[in-house]
Amino acid sequence: MSKTITLTINGERCELAVEGYRTLLDTLRNEAGLTGTKKGCDVGDCGACTVILDGKPVCSCLVLAAEADGAAVQTIEGLGKNGKLHPLQESFVRYGGAQCGFCTPGMIMMAKALLDANPRPSEEEIRFAIAGNICRCTGYTKIIEAIQAAAEE
Amino acid sequence: MSDLSVIGTSVRRPDVPGKVTGHARYAGDIALPGMLHAKIKRSTIAHAHIRRIDVSRAAALPGVRAVLTHETVPRVLHYGSPHPRSASVTRDQYILDRKVRYWGEGVAAVAAESEEIAEEALDLIEVEYEPLPAALTVEQALAPGAPVIHERPDNLVVEPVLVKRGDIDRGFAEADFVIEGTYELGRPTPAYMEPNVCLCQWDAEGRLTAWISTQTPFMVRGILAEVLGVPLSKVRVLVDHMGGGFGAKQDLFQTEFLCALLAREAGRPVRLEFTRKETFLGGRSRHPGTVWLKQGFTKDGRITARQGRVTLNSGAYGSHAPGVTSVGTWALTSLYRCDNVHLEGRAVYTNTPIAGAYRGYGVVQTYYALDCQLDEAAERLGIDAAELKLRNAVREGDLSPSGHPIVGHGLEDCIRRGRQETNWPPTKAKQAGRRRRGWGMGCEMHGSSAYPGIKEQGNATVRMNEDGTLQLFTGTTGLGTGAHTALAQVVAEEIGVRFDDVSVVHGDTDVVPWDIGAFASHTTYMGGRAAQMAAAEVRRQLLERAAEALEAAPGDLEIRQGIISVTGSDRRISVRDAIAPQKGVPSVQLVATATYRPTKSYSFAAHFVEVQVDVETGQIDVLQVIAVHEIGRVIHPVAAAGQIEGGIQQGIGHTLTEDYVIDLKDGRSLNAGFVDYKMPLSMDMPPIRTVILETAPDPGGPFGAKGVGEDPIIAIGPAIANAVHDATGVRFRHYPITPEHVVQAMKARSSK
Amino acid sequence: MRRFEYYEPATLDDAVALLGRHRGAASVLAGGTDLLVEMKEQLRRPQHVVNIKRIPGIASFDYDDRGGLRIGALVTARAIETSPVVLAKYPGLAQAARELGSVQIRNRATLVGNVCRASPSADTLPPLIADRAWAKLYGSAGERTVELEQFFTGPGRTLLAPDELVIELVVPPPAPHTGKVYIKHGRRKAMELATVGVAVALTLEGGRCADVSIVLGAVAPTPIRARTAEDALRGQPADETRIADAARAARSEARPISNVRASADYRSEMVDVLTRRALERARELALE
Repeated sequence: MSKTITLTINGERCELAVEGYRTLLDTLRNEAGLTGTKKGCDVGDCGACTVILDGKPVCSCLVLAAEADGAAVQTIEGLGKNGKLHPLQESFVRYGGAQCGFCTPGMIMMAKALLDANPRPSEEEIRFAIAGNICRCTGYTKIIEAIQAAAEE
Repeated sequence: MSDLSVIGTSVRRPDVPGKVTGHARYAGDIALPGMLHAKIKRSTIAHAHIRRIDVSRAAALPGVRAVLTHETVPRVLHYGSPHPRSASVTRDQYILDRKVRYWGEGVAAVAAESEEIAEEALDLIEVEYEPLPAALTVEQALAPGAPVIHERPDNLVVEPVLVKRGDIDRGFAEADFVIEGTYELGRPTPAYMEPNVCLCQWDAEGRLTAWISTQTPFMVRGILAEVLGVPLSKVRVLVDHMGGGFGAKQDLFQTEFLCALLAREAGRPVRLEFTRKETFLGGRSRHPGTVWLKQGFTKDGRITARQGRVTLNSGAYGSHAPGVTSVGTWALTSLYRCDNVHLEGRAVYTNTPIAGAYRGYGVVQTYYALDCQLDEAAERLGIDAAELKLRNAVREGDLSPSGHPIVGHGLEDCIRRGRQETNWPPTKAKQAGRRRRGWGMGCEMHGSSAYPGIKEQGNATVRMNEDGTLQLFTGTTGLGTGAHTALAQVVAEEIGVRFDDVSVVHGDTDVVPWDIGAFASHTTYMGGRAAQMAAAEVRRQLLERAAEALEAAPGDLEIRQGIISVTGSDRRISVRDAIAPQKGVPSVQLVATATYRPTKSYSFAAHFVEVQVDVETGQIDVLQVIAVHEIGRVIHPVAAAGQIEGGIQQGIGHTLTEDYVIDLKDGRSLNAGFVDYKMPLSMDMPPIRTVILETAPDPGGPFGAKGVGEDPIIAIGPAIANAVHDATGVRFRHYPITPEHVVQAMKARSSK
Repeated sequence: MRRFEYYEPATLDDAVALLGRHRGAASVLAGGTDLLVEMKEQLRRPQHVVNIKRIPGIASFDYDDRGGLRIGALVTARAIETSPVVLAKYPGLAQAARELGSVQIRNRATLVGNVCRASPSADTLPPLIADRAWAKLYGSAGERTVELEQFFTGPGRTLLAPDELVIELVVPPPAPHTGKVYIKHGRRKAMELATVGVAVALTLEGGRCADVSIVLGAVAPTPIRARTAEDALRGQPADETRIADAARAARSEARPISNVRASADYRSEMVDVLTRRALERARELALE
């Protein structure tokens, strides 16, 4: 049963036709053409699909697009402004927070949600916040450095 | 003190901004008009003939555009892994077979208008199996009368590897004591974050374009062409960004063939993406197995003899068993010196998921045994473990596993430096109550390049543009390690321009020179050297031209930061001006191609680890890691440290929490997902201090650089096991070491 | 995922009517962090999915000293985890909520959903039972209340009729000098399903245990109260020996199974270890 929903994606109002059984993740990647958000497991175990939904970081693979009708969604594509990188994006580049980059969009969105709520997190608080974001390349060391550096800005 | 201007600096990686903005494109991000979605039906039995397979109801489902079974795909026996005719891989796979050999093997494929329809179609495919007895363990596969999995009645993947040096009988006779142990190695898997994915499209001329997340695009091109019966000029493989591979994406997974065949049959592009569960069922794990090891020692700690039997579980197909068995077994001739060595290595088929190439490639398994046993010997001898390992460490001139002499004293340097950094042996913390702390160290060495198993070849082309900037064309793939940045640094350094002046072109088999692929830690070493050689030639051509303009001999010129100057004078010209077009005359085309056929270089590491064990729950926490690595020359310090830290995460997982478990009753996968396949997460990882040494550069590598990708995952395991021993007094000879093992062992000790 | 019909009823009665009409083939969608996972793993295949998040009146979350804590159906685990009231008065529950999945999961997962899913290893169930929580149910037959301890009938099974919803959980106000603890046993520090879960609420009066609840998770088909252990401790001085005895008794009441996560023997052993640790910590908290 197809339904038309309205999502405000990265500040822009979008009307999309979606099937009731499609997830927000698939809708962002396909109907909205925003492939920055990744599908690592599709069952909420890895955090690669993290977006900020009405101000809260969630796994978009576990949200139906239809449920998100009327909501505001922030994805990785919405982070920089006018070609300038967000401090988190810049610090991930500078500190080696990204290697293969597949976990990176979800990781950065989770970090953004953390810093929005807690601008000066301790290392422990950072580790706690990103506990649901799996990285298989970095061992987390440089991700944490990058988040700490961005927090200092 | 380095006089290099680009090498050794952590330049801004050009591939990362795309990743942090979400614009980097991975194979699964590409959508083509009319694209179909494919799914694979997987067997629910470990060993069986397919008596009947009926896809009529699936084909009739509205939205289904193509269905394939073993009856409709080409019956071509091929190497699952695309390494060409090498010693590393086995030729024992069909695209789809009339027999299934493990629970989860693909038996049919469907392409449909949506993923949901494709999944529904799978349900409508009827398969009648004729069960066969299954061999789910190595013991079962080797027992007399065992089920025959492939055509070999002994269920061996290849002839056993035999290595003999010196005389072990004399060696053991010389020994003051002999130590023996059997080490059981579990089944970790790479668990890269990007599931395997493939997108195939045929054009009207019968040319195939495939976007694939693969480490070996030329190999994939070759084997696709061969199996599909298409000339190489009509197959194009594209790899832009990859979400990790760790070695395991240098195989073909049935996926690629099925995707291409579905696309051909449906006449539309087809995307086939593994679910996370399928990355377990259809991917590649590390080889589980056992290592039996016996060594003789003199009182003063010299190793007089070493005898080992390596038995690896290959799973249902051979994949990289030959290479892994060979490399893992041969590795035991080295690391710690011993003149008398007798080794045997075997790989055995079982009806379980396929083991393949994975970072560390057999050496994770064999060095776990070797280093842990050295630690045990140290205890017996009353010598400090680091001291014993230092005394026996391989060094300059010793014969390496590949048969070349070792360059330098890298391993000794790592051990000495690690001891310094940790004030070894660390003062034993007072053990109060249920939390016990301990320290341990472990060593390793690993080669850059797959020599001698494969005689590889790195090719590179360097071309200068009309404005003095450069393109490096490389066939090496970008797994995400930063290797391409390193290659660009090599080119920039070699010529004398700035890093930003060099762009890397990669990922399109139609455009870049042939390359064997990114694996065996050889991209920097082999790809880098080829790039350096090509850059050197371009530099020579450039100086010839500039010499004219500057009225000097080419030998009197130097290039720094893009400026060519005459030594000892102030005559100079920019690179740009040296090749710029003149009125009516186009810019000169400076281009060079180089081929490098490497032998091998070895990198070294020593890891020092502190753990804490809760003796009541058995929980082991790694408190800190000091990782000392000797890699010849660091090209990009942050990238090198990143490889080390990431390898440590995987190694901690292997040693403590990761095990892909197969039910021994029916061969079913019990934890094919991230809930129960437990990788260390952010709260589980310790602080890691990385120390990188450049004390044993290899002249075969660019500016002396060697690889680093695989070393960290090998050293960390024994370091942890040895630390657990220090904390608890219990010597574990297996991985993973679970809390249950610890609790059982602690009880057994206290009841003595 | 298999295709299904999606509904967004505007009222409770509409939701109940939908569930009744599609009896057995409909599932309730609140947080989605269990349902959608099970659907993707083909453990459940509802043809009808009923999203209850547009229904007014089931999102309240408040506390008063008389009525205790009221948690509406739509209250998320994250809200529980971060609520100052829950942290102060129901720390075991806060701890359990905090260990459920990840922050992302907790921003969607509802406490009531965790209860209705009735997984034997669910984290929030033992502390809720230890705190004597009860549930308010709403269905075609009207409203009824059920003590949470009676609510679970088997792994993934509850007393809910197919057209019934839990609309609210109520947790009585805590007695003074009560320490509440939840300890989850897992291999990693996050993203775990408990191999053993122990919730304890211990009320002290003059150094003696005036009341105690010991609830075990992941070691039986449903969460269970270790009544023998409780009886052994109730009325006794809450000292080290009595606590160790109670822990041992709890162990014999557990009926764990072996699976890929842990063996039955190990789980039993951990019941002993963790019950002791939980009681010791609860005593410390009760004395504060």
